Amino acid sequence: MTTHHPSETTLWAHVTGSLPPAHRQVIAIHVALCPHCAAELRHLEEIGGALLEDLTPAPLAAGSFTRLLARLDEPVPPPRPAMASPPASPAGFLSALATGRWRWTGPGIAMMPLMPRDDSNTRLDLIRVAPNTGLLEHGHGGFESTVVLQGTFDDGSGQYGPGDFGEAGRGFDHRPAALPGPECICLIATTAHLKPHGLLGRLVRPLIGM
Amino acid sequence: MTDAPDAISLEALILAVARERDKQAFTVLFDHFAPRVKAFLQRGGTPGASAEDMMQDVLLTVWNKAAQFDPSRASAQAWVFGIARNLKIDTIRRARVPLPELDPLQAEPDLPSDDVVAARQSSRLVRQAIQDLPAEQLEVLKLSYFEDMSHGEIEKALGVPLGTIKSRLRLAMAKLRQVLKEES
Repeated sequence: MTTHHPSETTLWAHVTGSLPPAHRQVIAIHVALCPHCAAELRHLEEIGGALLEDLTPAPLAAGSFTRLLARLDEPVPPPRPAMASPPASPAGFLSALATGRWRWTGPGIAMMPLMPRDDSNTRLDLIRVAPNTGLLEHGHGGFESTVVLQGTFDDGSGQYGPGDFGEAGRGFDHRPAALPGPECICLIATTAHLKPHGLLGRLVRPLIGM
Repeated sequence: MTDAPDAISLEALILAVARERDKQAFTVLFDHFAPRVKAFLQRGGTPGASAEDMMQDVLLTVWNKAAQFDPSRASAQAWVFGIARNLKIDTIRRARVPLPELDPLQAEPDLPSDDVVAARQSSRLVRQAIQDLPAEQLEVLKLSYFEDMSHGEIEKALGVPLGTIKSRLRLAMAKLRQVLKEES
């Protein structure tokens, strides 16, 4: 049972397709684990459909339908390469995603890069934090979204357990810390760069690439 | 603007394509959706010629995946919108790294019950509720949908602060969701 959900405006941006793939992935995992947000998403898709319906139709190219008709009996192309749907549980998603190598990024902290920065300056990583370890306090240069896959963290605004979704935007500062228990592992999408406070943070940022 | 054909619903036409590969039904679906899907793609910033090609791919997907359509989960419009949106994402910002396939809205190919009427009804109610929104809420809703603009870009285009945009969007959403919840 998840208690932290994406904001309505974030879900809407997901539905309209205006979020980079890394954020889409984080939100999709939360939605797969959260019946509340799955229902919410269906409502938003209906709004998307209603707006489509009321759009002023665009003129089609000459012979548009004939051209398509000729393609109807073509064999259906195989689905694009992707991993099969993993079992819809935080542990299932974690083992499906964590196929690379963990890299040490600080005492008690390791990261596994999943997608490098794209043209929207967004990257996707797994981050693993030992119990009772805090991250450096930081702000955000862009949108950050995260879904917890194991363990629990607290960022001062509340506790986030498996399946919970957290988001932070420009101007939002926090200092997340993993709570006692199993290591805390999160999938995290980051647009732009984090803005660490303090000298130590500024020194290590170039090393960890965040 | 032509309205949805009334005698036979769009949902029933998709089901006919799924069950019988009915090209007659598909023709009606094409006439209805192709110009709207093309308009959606064009206004999202795709130039005319590639919007035409992408629209063809969207309608071909409607033909190929008709069996996955479940009218108890979505109206015809919402389903086609989802296909168009996904194709746009795939074309513009294709993720190069294979990740778990996750699209709860496109999954679950259960074969449909008789909820076609309910789906049509809710789609009609949402459209009405959209027309009834205050102009400033409708403006933000449409900019965030059609123009594929980030909230920051909308802030620039409208010259109103981000907080105002978000609260207008939230108000619009709350009203539309209310309509859908009363329905379901």
